[in-house]
Amino acid sequence: MSTKTLMPPAPAQHFWRRAFGRDWQLGWVLVLPVVAVLVGLIAYPFFLSIYLSFTDKMVGQPANFIGLQNYKDILFGAEFGTLFWKSVVTTLIYTGTAVCTKVVIGMGMALFLHEEFKGRNLMRALCFLPWAIPSLIVGLSWQWIYNGTPAGMLNQILIDLGLSDTLIQWLGDPHLALWSVIFVTVWAGCPFYGMMLLAGLQSIPRELYEAASIDGANVFQRYRHVTLPGLATIIAITVLLSTIWTANGFNLIYILTGGGPANATMTFPMLTYQVGIAGAQRLGTASAITILFLPFFLVLIILLTRHMLREEI
Amino acid sequence: MATLARTSERSRSLRSGRLVHRVVMVLAGLFFGLWTLVPLYWIIATSLKNEIQVMRDPTLIPTAITFHNYYSILYESKFLLYIKNSVEVAVVTTALSMLFGSIAAYAISRLRFRGRGVVARAIVVSYLVPGSLLFISLFEVLTELHLTDRLSGLMVVYLSFTLPFCTWLMIGYFRSIPSELEEAALVDGCNRVRALIHIILPLTVPALVVVTLFSFTQSWNEFLYALVFISSDSQKTFTVGLIGLIQGDTLPYSLMMAAATLGLIPPMLVYVISQRWVVSGLAAGSVKG
Repeated sequence: MSTKTLMPPAPAQHFWRRAFGRDWQLGWVLVLPVVAVLVGLIAYPFFLSIYLSFTDKMVGQPANFIGLQNYKDILFGAEFGTLFWKSVVTTLIYTGTAVCTKVVIGMGMALFLHEEFKGRNLMRALCFLPWAIPSLIVGLSWQWIYNGTPAGMLNQILIDLGLSDTLIQWLGDPHLALWSVIFVTVWAGCPFYGMMLLAGLQSIPRELYEAASIDGANVFQRYRHVTLPGLATIIAITVLLSTIWTANGFNLIYILTGGGPANATMTFPMLTYQVGIAGAQRLGTASAITILFLPFFLVLIILLTRHMLREEI
Repeated sequence: MATLARTSERSRSLRSGRLVHRVVMVLAGLFFGLWTLVPLYWIIATSLKNEIQVMRDPTLIPTAITFHNYYSILYESKFLLYIKNSVEVAVVTTALSMLFGSIAAYAISRLRFRGRGVVARAIVVSYLVPGSLLFISLFEVLTELHLTDRLSGLMVVYLSFTLPFCTWLMIGYFRSIPSELEEAALVDGCNRVRALIHIILPLTVPALVVVTLFSFTQSWNEFLYALVFISSDSQKTFTVGLIGLIQGDTLPYSLMMAAATLGLIPPMLVYVISQRWVVSGLAAGSVKG
């Protein structure tokens, strides 16, 4: 506003300023690089994958338009049909179980770290540590912990303690593999919840707890009527974010099982990778898979954008 | 009498409550301590064992410590080359997203122009779009641009996740700085650029630190894009390089864990340095976990 009073704009500029806003020239120059990245690396690839999903594009070959053939193959075809539907179920089980478990353990972690005790800062640093470990290394380490020979840590401990007399194939048994992978996802993901919920707990005014205590509320009532309502927004944001990233998780599954055994851990990103890059190199079919999973992510993204923009813009 | 009995009852329940509290806290401490430390212990312990201790005669605690695994990884494999590549990519990506992110955030939070709201919205949405939806078509885009199998390709592609995040976080910080400060400088005859450099930037240093650390770690840890876009050994970042080592020569677990431990060091250093700011930074921008 001060600039306006200081130097009145020339009449020719006046029109543009009214049409595009006071600082439109500088504004657009400054956001240009970001807009270029958003258009070139997000929007264009997005529309390209819609186009590719209607073609028979393969790596290193030109694309031919084939209409809905990819979608037919994926939804009803012999080669991909059952695999796709199994992958939908696996992705839902994987994401749902992991997210719910992370909320519970992360909440416990945050409540614990919110209490006052000696060495609390050290304990916070320790609890949040897995968050800083590259997920690739997390996967590598757990693959070794789960090792199915007597050398694997879990099998060693179970046998030493006499809890098991056979070697358990944590990642090799089709009935067990998904749960083993989920456990690692939870291990790596809990610190994020712990941090977010701890930040939330710190923002709840202490007076609310004191008032509740004076009114005779016990620990559980205080938690139910003070803590939970105070955390509602941050829980919603954390769960939505984590659902997107968990469903999208590739690294851990790639290292631990590669989607096997018998496709038991073939979640959506793994399936896309197997179809598009690793095995058949069918980019068109893989694009169609991403388009079919798009609605799931779209709902989450719309909900989150609303939450995140409500406070900021 | 009645009140006295009630207070004593109350103090007894308070005392037993405190005891329960102590027990719960100790159990929670043990649980979370072991939860984090046991897997880490196993990685580091394995990296210090020789192959016999690892496979043939497995023990939970190393009976003799050796650093030979570290020597082999550092000097007898391409690990250092991969680390160098990772550093290059992470540094360039981080620098670019800092620069572009802060100027865009400044414009969105301070200037008035049409399209500002749309850009802000697009930034949030882009930050939330998962990479697994885009990597197939990004592979096509990079092929068209002849940027596959090049570090420069990765530097460009990594901007797609670091830049929206940096911009979004910086918008939040710029908003927390009162605009009167800047307007005062403008009245005093500063132009916008000088006001930005002398008034606003010094105030956003903490934010810039957090954003740098986050985008560095994110680029450092990235795996899917590097796996899909890079094929020659000389261009591999440490994540794909490590996987290549394992799949190529069926690396013994002791060496693999030595490599894993080495790969842990840079993010751990960053984490130890930045731990104070991490929680508030997370709460402000909601970082990828």
